Amino acid sequence: MMMIAPVGGAKHRLLPSCSIIALLAALALPILAEAAGTRAGSTISNTASASFDTGGGTTTVDSNRVDLLVDEVLDVTVDSSNPADVPTTPGATGQVLTFSVTNNGNGVEAFGLTTIANAGGDNYDPVVTQTYLDNGDGIFDASADTLYTPGANDPSLDPDQSITVFVLATTPGTVVDGNRGIVSLVAAARTGTGDPGRSFAGQGEGGGDAVVGSTGADGTDAGAFVVSAATVTLVKSAVVTNSLGTADPIPGASITYTIVATVAGSGSVSGLAITDNIPADTSYAPGSITLGGSGLSDAADADAGDYNGSRINVMLGTVAGGQTRTVTFRTQID
Amino acid sequence: MRTVLFLLLAALAPAQALAANQVTLDNHVFVERVSTDAAGKQKILLEEPKVVVPGDRLVFVLNYRNAGAQPADRFVITNPMPSAVRFADAGDTRPLVSVDGGKQWGLLSDLSVPMTDGTRRAAQPADVTHIRWAFRDPIPVGGTGKLMFRGVVR
Repeated sequence: MMMIAPVGGAKHRLLPSCSIIALLAALALPILAEAAGTRAGSTISNTASASFDTGGGTTTVDSNRVDLLVDEVLDVTVDSSNPADVPTTPGATGQVLTFSVTNNGNGVEAFGLTTIANAGGDNYDPVVTQTYLDNGDGIFDASADTLYTPGANDPSLDPDQSITVFVLATTPGTVVDGNRGIVSLVAAARTGTGDPGRSFAGQGEGGGDAVVGSTGADGTDAGAFVVSAATVTLVKSAVVTNSLGTADPIPGASITYTIVATVAGSGSVSGLAITDNIPADTSYAPGSITLGGSGLSDAADADAGDYNGSRINVMLGTVAGGQTRTVTFRTQID
Repeated sequence: MRTVLFLLLAALAPAQALAANQVTLDNHVFVERVSTDAAGKQKILLEEPKVVVPGDRLVFVLNYRNAGAQPADRFVITNPMPSAVRFADAGDTRPLVSVDGGKQWGLLSDLSVPMTDGTRRAAQPADVTHIRWAFRDPIPVGGTGKLMFRGVVR
């Protein structure tokens, strides 16, 4: 079937209305990119006609018609939809990475999805627990999206159609701040994959063959988590003053406690509170709580501090890594 | 009435028979397959395909022959582009093209395409809907020739 086609220029002189310049200009123009292309199973027909005059008026003849069947091309791409690493914390569950799977072929095709979390190039392996197929809103919602089961509900995509896929993972409790964990999503044409040009006879849409396209009929892309954790360090110190001007803890002496909370790491802590019981044989000095040098009332009210008769409490709320908070209060030795 | 009809048929029939014998136009479509040999040298093979895929480069070859007893004057060959094929080039055969379904003809560089906002842009190969070769001189008795153009399956 293979043959060399003899291709040459016109033997006979054409009307002088054409120029080689036009041809060069045409060749210089970029070839427009096509997406999925002509639908698999369609037929390309070509017929030319010739008209001429042999003295009795114009006559037209048609050439033979050549029909070509368009085969199905198997092509798919996967793209991570997360613009940056997704923050996670040690031990967190249901951590979501978002991907987009696009059928770049020219026929309807189902794609099998798998994940790879142990390919290396990162600090830890996220534990993939589930994969969900989006319901079309692009937002993960376990109650509205479809849990994916390989082989059972492989997404079937029209040419150029995309689907959003959510990969859920658990972050191991052993990771530390700054660790990265990569998960790749792989989509593979159910008809088959392989080197570009590999053909699956009769398995194309519309009765033709299915041919592996330039993507190898499978695609992959990686998303990553980054552990964004914070640690809190509390340092407590006490200073004694008395009427003698010494630091001896005699009855009537005043003890000023200073508690410094230091938050470290790339994350932040939320709901941070400092609570300290008033030691036995001492009495709390009313109105002595300070936060960052500013006084706080003893009542449980709008400000962050309170004293309830046995302990002081200061609500620090959310504190980002790299920041410190300093709380002081005083007691008197009974 | 019947007589007139017979006369008309009689007048048409020989002309058609004559025309069919006069000029033949043979249409072949090849696909360019690039293969790389062991030495890494690329070879372009032309195959006559039954099936194609988007992106395949097709070579359309038209062979004409004047098999009649009279020279064929005002000889014009027209090939409408299959809608699924994007015109690429026509080698050195210098055709006229149409970008509006065959209404107007010209060099691709002289043609333009209307935009939705009312302006016009320069025509590109992808806009070509028809290709035409118009011959200046009659095709002599027994004369043959070959025309070609390339396209890409959309």
